[in-house]
Amino acid sequence: MPAAAILLSACEGILGGIYDEVPDETRPTVSGELYIDASDWEEWHYIDLPSLSDAVAADPDYNTSSAWQTYIIDMTRADEDDGSGRGIYTYWYDVFGEGISRREYRDFYPTAAQAEPERWTFAVHRNNVRTNGCTVAATRYGSLDELPDDDNYYKSLEFKGDEWNESDVWIDQDRMLLGIIGNQGSAVNTVLSSWLRIEIPPMPPSFTPDSRVFVIRLGDGTMGALQLADYQSAAGVKCCLSIKYRYPL
Amino acid sequence: MRQRLMAAALTALTAASALQAEEVQDTDSASARFFDLDEVVVTGVRVPKLLKDTPVQTRLITMKEIQRSDATDIQDLLTQEMPGLEFTYAMNQQTHLNFNGQGGQSVLFLVDGERMAGETMDDVDFSRLTMSNVDHIEIVKGASSALYGSNAGGGVINIITRKAVKPLRVAADARFGRHGDRRYNLSLTTRRGRVSNILTGHCHTTDNYDVRSAADPVTRVVTTIYGNRVANVTEQLGYTPVDGLKLTARAGFFYRQLKRVEDTPERYRDYTAGLRGEWQISDDDMLNVSYAFDQYDKSDYRRISGLDVRSYSNVNNSVRALYSHTFGDSRTLTAGADFMHDYMLNTKLSDPRRSQNSADVFAQYDRIIGEKWEAVGALRYDYFSDGGMSRVTPKVSVRYRPRHNVNIRAGYGMGFRAPTLKEKYYDFDMAGIWIVRGNPSLRPESSHNFTLSADYTEGNYHVTVSGYYNDVHNRIATGVPYYLPGDPHQLYLDYVNLRHYTVAGCEVALKGRWTNGLSASLTYAYTDEHLAEDRDGNTINNQYIPARPHSLTARADWEKTFREGYTLTASLNGRVLSSVINVEYRDYYDIAAGTVKVEYPAYTLWKLSVSQTLTRYIKVGLAVDNIFNYKPLYYYLNCPLTDGTAFMAGVSIDFY
Repeated sequence: MPAAAILLSACEGILGGIYDEVPDETRPTVSGELYIDASDWEEWHYIDLPSLSDAVAADPDYNTSSAWQTYIIDMTRADEDDGSGRGIYTYWYDVFGEGISRREYRDFYPTAAQAEPERWTFAVHRNNVRTNGCTVAATRYGSLDELPDDDNYYKSLEFKGDEWNESDVWIDQDRMLLGIIGNQGSAVNTVLSSWLRIEIPPMPPSFTPDSRVFVIRLGDGTMGALQLADYQSAAGVKCCLSIKYRYPL
Repeated sequence: MRQRLMAAALTALTAASALQAEEVQDTDSASARFFDLDEVVVTGVRVPKLLKDTPVQTRLITMKEIQRSDATDIQDLLTQEMPGLEFTYAMNQQTHLNFNGQGGQSVLFLVDGERMAGETMDDVDFSRLTMSNVDHIEIVKGASSALYGSNAGGGVINIITRKAVKPLRVAADARFGRHGDRRYNLSLTTRRGRVSNILTGHCHTTDNYDVRSAADPVTRVVTTIYGNRVANVTEQLGYTPVDGLKLTARAGFFYRQLKRVEDTPERYRDYTAGLRGEWQISDDDMLNVSYAFDQYDKSDYRRISGLDVRSYSNVNNSVRALYSHTFGDSRTLTAGADFMHDYMLNTKLSDPRRSQNSADVFAQYDRIIGEKWEAVGALRYDYFSDGGMSRVTPKVSVRYRPRHNVNIRAGYGMGFRAPTLKEKYYDFDMAGIWIVRGNPSLRPESSHNFTLSADYTEGNYHVTVSGYYNDVHNRIATGVPYYLPGDPHQLYLDYVNLRHYTVAGCEVALKGRWTNGLSASLTYAYTDEHLAEDRDGNTINNQYIPARPHSLTARADWEKTFREGYTLTASLNGRVLSSVINVEYRDYYDIAAGTVKVEYPAYTLWKLSVSQTLTRYIKVGLAVDNIFNYKPLYYYLNCPLTDGTAFMAGVSIDFY
């Protein structure tokens, strides 16, 4: 009888307990932490640090999981090119050869300006980050708690603003197997975007996170700190970002 | 007087004939020993036969050949020993076998006659099949579904492990090479009266390293060669309660980790267990019964969150029975039945948990007709519960020995492969490129396989010539990518039954062995694989690169014992593979744009190794792999994964 029971339980395998169950995707609200599913290729997610700080100050139980707004990337071709450079840029990437650092321009068509909320500090799209007139510097610290109180330290940091980019904000993977990828022409903050690097090759792509703390200086001179704590969802979906923040510094 | 003279003449003639017969017999025995023709093989007809007598052409790789190759696993060994066979790689460097034009799903790998669970890109995990405790390997080409069922349409590779013979044996070895190559093996064997025990351990690690191709490759290339960390432990306990009855219990654990992405290493685990009873009921009757458990898991370890999440588990529970009865000296009836419960957890299936039962019965009749002929016929019925699929497969083999040193073998076998649960229920978004979908209405793949071979042994030489023709119907593969009406953005790729296609080939093997310690072999294989098309005649998205038409392996060994306890061995082996052309789409998103022929270049690799047996127990070895420093211009998916000459050093202890 015990042998039969062992055989029966062995039908679906043994030692399943050594593995972890995929936790519930709904992350509990954690003070000082945001969880954003930024895996969609066609969405920007906007976060406003001053508003977030005010909301948490007013209600310590404020649900930070809704403290960001999502705007779709509109890929509709505009009737006219206004000369701003806004639009969709198609590039060929040497996906199966030297890698995505080797790329060639193929096509462009204009679109309307990217929709965005009235107030925002920074926005994320998969591994890309842009800011609303902010500058960003990388620190050597691996935890928000380690940040010094000394103002001179922050003055010594090298802050960098956003730069125009036509080939990093990947929005169209329909022809990816041929190395053809559509991009949104957009400003990008390369310092903050370095918190998650995508490399091809290998194929499938590799994701390399940088868990250092980044300092963001807003247009009004106030500063905040951001750290990418994780880039995967419980189910293992890449570009689901767990971001620790502190504002103001 | 005249009668006396006649009697004397007859006596002399008889004596001369007897002497000549004795000489022939002696020569035969020496040749048989030289070329291992007296070794017992079991795979071709499922009952023990001498290699020279088996009616099914069987390629034997002996323990000595395995040791000389210094192979780590079955992939390493077969690459060195077998032409007409190639291990290629998928986009993410998962290994795929092409065996005489047959894919991994059509070649059945067995360990002591038991199937293996789990697959990746249609192939078993070859790193599970380590060579540290292998007695020999039997390879039967062509369809053997009548004896082994589904998946044996292209051949059977049966790995026979070592048995406990000595009262005590301790064997250990270590080898070190480039790219963090570190290999350790340990084997502890004991035998006391009616009890025996074999404990083995294997550990092998290699590092990731980058390779660089020239500019503008015409198709996909590899940029990082991924290393592995492999650990494998097996335990086997044998007990003979009464003469003629042997009971064996075994268990094993396998672990492999591969780091494609630094903070998400992939983990592969396998658990095996089994019970076997072999009962020699009488001189003419033999009964084998066994139970086998095999579970193969895949998981991703997420270092940041500390979660080890399983995405795949394949669990096989099998019960087998095999009975054979010999009528006199010339007829053997073999009959058997198997039952297997196949369970699969796969997050890429439409319903992640699937299972099915399969059962079969088979019978084989073997008859030796006079001194020259032997014929064997088999019939098998297989049933699969998922979809109520069943199939009857026959097999007939004939051996003809016109002279004492010549064997001619011919055979026909029907191959059969039931669609797997993956092929029926897959639903996987492949990195946004396309969605690969299973097809519940797939029909079984079948084939008609014809083989013909002849071998000839004369003194120091042994020649084998063989050929095969395989006509495959309803081959299961992914078909032509397509868009659904109204959705021009999402490509789909379904599993389909393909139009029938053929594979034919031949092989010539020459072996020589001399009393001065020198031996050599040269084997050439030709494979003519016709690429399959879908039922509408469209070129399909061929997942795997076809077989190279021409391939050759060569080997020369020299061994000399200078004094007791000191033996020097030197080996040179190499392989030459011709180029191969694959038909690939110009534009995967626009099939109408047609196809392009991509040529994968020829290459050759050679390995030189020297070993010294310093005492009875200790051996040290040095090897230079890829001695001509071959580096692929482009690291395409079927190129050898080498970045040039590699040196290896090892030491082994074998105490008994």
